[in-house]
Amino acid sequence: MRLGMVIDLDRCIGCRSCAVACKSHNAQPPGTWWNRVFTHGASFHQAAVGKDGALQMEYLPVSCQMCDNPACQKVCPSGATYTDERGVVLIDYERCIGCRYCIAACPYGVRQYNWEDPKKAKERAGYEKGYEYGYPADFRDKDGRLVYTPNRPVGVVEKCTFCAQYTSRGEQPACVKGCPGKVRIFGDLDDPSSEVSKLVRKRQTVRLKEELGTSPKVFYLAATKPIR
Amino acid sequence: MKKSNILLGLAGSLILISLVAWGYQIYNGLIVTNMRNSFSWGLYIATFAFFVGVAAGGLIVSSTVYLFNIEKLKPFTRIASLSAFASILGAGAMILPDMGRVDRIWNIFVYPNFRSPLVWDVIVISAYLLITFLSVYVQLLPDRKKEGSRFLNGWTKAHSQEEVEAFSKKWSKRIALVGLPVAILIHTVTALIFATQASRGWWNTAVLPPDFVSVAVASGTALVLVISLLAVGKEQFDQHKGAFQIMALIVAGSLVVHFFFVSVDLIIHGWWGSTEAEEILSLIFSHYGYLYATELMFPAFTMVLFFTEKGKRSYRALMIGSVLLFIGVFAHRLMLMFPAFNAIPLSLSIPGAGIESWAYPVALGQLQEGMPVFVSSWAYTPTLVEYGVTLLPFGLVLFVVTAALKMYNFLPQKRSM
Ligand code: SF4
Ligand code: SF4
Repeated sequence: MRLGMVIDLDRCIGCRSCAVACKSHNAQPPGTWWNRVFTHGASFHQAAVGKDGALQMEYLPVSCQMCDNPACQKVCPSGATYTDERGVVLIDYERCIGCRYCIAACPYGVRQYNWEDPKKAKERAGYEKGYEYGYPADFRDKDGRLVYTPNRPVGVVEKCTFCAQYTSRGEQPACVKGCPGKVRIFGDLDDPSSEVSKLVRKRQTVRLKEELGTSPKVFYLAATKPIR
Repeated sequence: MKKSNILLGLAGSLILISLVAWGYQIYNGLIVTNMRNSFSWGLYIATFAFFVGVAAGGLIVSSTVYLFNIEKLKPFTRIASLSAFASILGAGAMILPDMGRVDRIWNIFVYPNFRSPLVWDVIVISAYLLITFLSVYVQLLPDRKKEGSRFLNGWTKAHSQEEVEAFSKKWSKRIALVGLPVAILIHTVTALIFATQASRGWWNTAVLPPDFVSVAVASGTALVLVISLLAVGKEQFDQHKGAFQIMALIVAGSLVVHFFFVSVDLIIHGWWGSTEAEEILSLIFSHYGYLYATELMFPAFTMVLFFTEKGKRSYRALMIGSVLLFIGVFAHRLMLMFPAFNAIPLSLSIPGAGIESWAYPVALGQLQEGMPVFVSSWAYTPTLVEYGVTLLPFGLVLFVVTAALKMYNFLPQKRSM
């Protein structure tokens, strides 16, 4: 099994619902975002870019690209970052030593560090006391490795897990469920009859920074808007 | 005697300050540094690389003695090994505060991932620490036997002074020759931590490891030079002039090689004219222009100075040249970080809008009033806590060197070993 995702940029309206769903389902502390949506080329989201009065506004959601050749995993000295049997790149929060080598190595800027204790960070940001959000229980993989916990330990790295706590029991990731435009399609790239496989086969897809040889398992369908 | 006590006191307080700062950092998390998600390595790693660099000197100097049979340098092999041991100890200590979970550091040994250059580095640095320690140890054996010192020395009791001298001589040579490749390896592997990362154009070049070696030979030898000058003092300077000249030449010669590497590196980064390369070049020449100028000018000055007759022969010139070189090399290590982290790897072109390179913003990892959450560059400057923690290796090196010089005779007076 090789879990992957297709993101149809033609349908994305830049509403950032996926980012919000991701953030709250995965209890990300203030300032930490596993999933980002920005307007191509703009310094502000939802600002048009262009020249000579010809403006455009396209959106690009980016989270962990689930590389088949993941630099983050190769540099990790303690084996905290690993790829599970479903092809998902995960971080063992009990193993990570916080060296941040993986942050330097990842070309996509998706890895986020716990610079302080998330509970303290929430308090400092002024979140209501005792207000906890996100999936409330720990989630361990089949070998007992802790890959989700609502408040991560201080000093470890975190990132998108394809919602390991949901997808391990056959549900969809939060971003897929939360997207109003049905932009995101999630499935098994090894299964030729899955929707993701069909799209990758039949449509022209783009992968980010493909030239670096990371072989991402997140594919983008270009925002075509055909004019001829 | 008195001077060394002051130095020991200074070293002790540096270590103390750094430990307090480190304690504060452990309590609060790395939020007390100015590193953030988009700029995730800073002063600590730069200082680490600096100390790895100066650790080269010891074995370079001692092995020159044995490989090229340069008698003049012989009196300084002990100081050389000592400076190497102290520096690599400092380097090893510096890496610890950078780990967010230093309490789990054992995971590297229990679950090592042998594809990670960091694991290779742990291995070669530990090996070097051991080798330089043994090198100091065997060279001091005869003296310590004479003094009747017992600690780690008991086994020499059954042997005559002559036997111990012969043993020390034989093994000093062996260790120096085994140590040389390890000395080269610690720089190569430390450089490979960076050079293997295709995500960072500034690092991802095959010239980085050889350049690290050349800078290490220069700065490592300069450290041996400085410690030797201080140990010998102005009074006996003339007696050892020949040795100092050779060291100055090693420094200047390896700087020539370094500048050669720098030039080809810049040409290769610049010639093709890709937008990523242009961004890096504009970062080093305009945004961080002053720091880059320091990196280039100071060592260039030292190089020229050490080639001139006057520079090689004067106590003061050798001192000033070496200190300027250290500043330059430190700037060099900092410049490893700034252009690498401020060129966001995920940058894209949007031809329709006439945009060639747009950096996809990265979340900082902290939410604070008045600060953006997503950035495409981060004006990293170390915080006070970071400076405090960074005193650790400086204190350690000062402490080890001063204490050793005080306790043992590192300058065999007129005695050929
Ligand atoms: S996108 Fe980054 S974090 Fe995700 S697998 Fe690739 S290298 Fe690792
Ligand atoms: S920060 Fe953690 S996950 Fe990242 S490389 Fe270091 S140990 Fe591995």
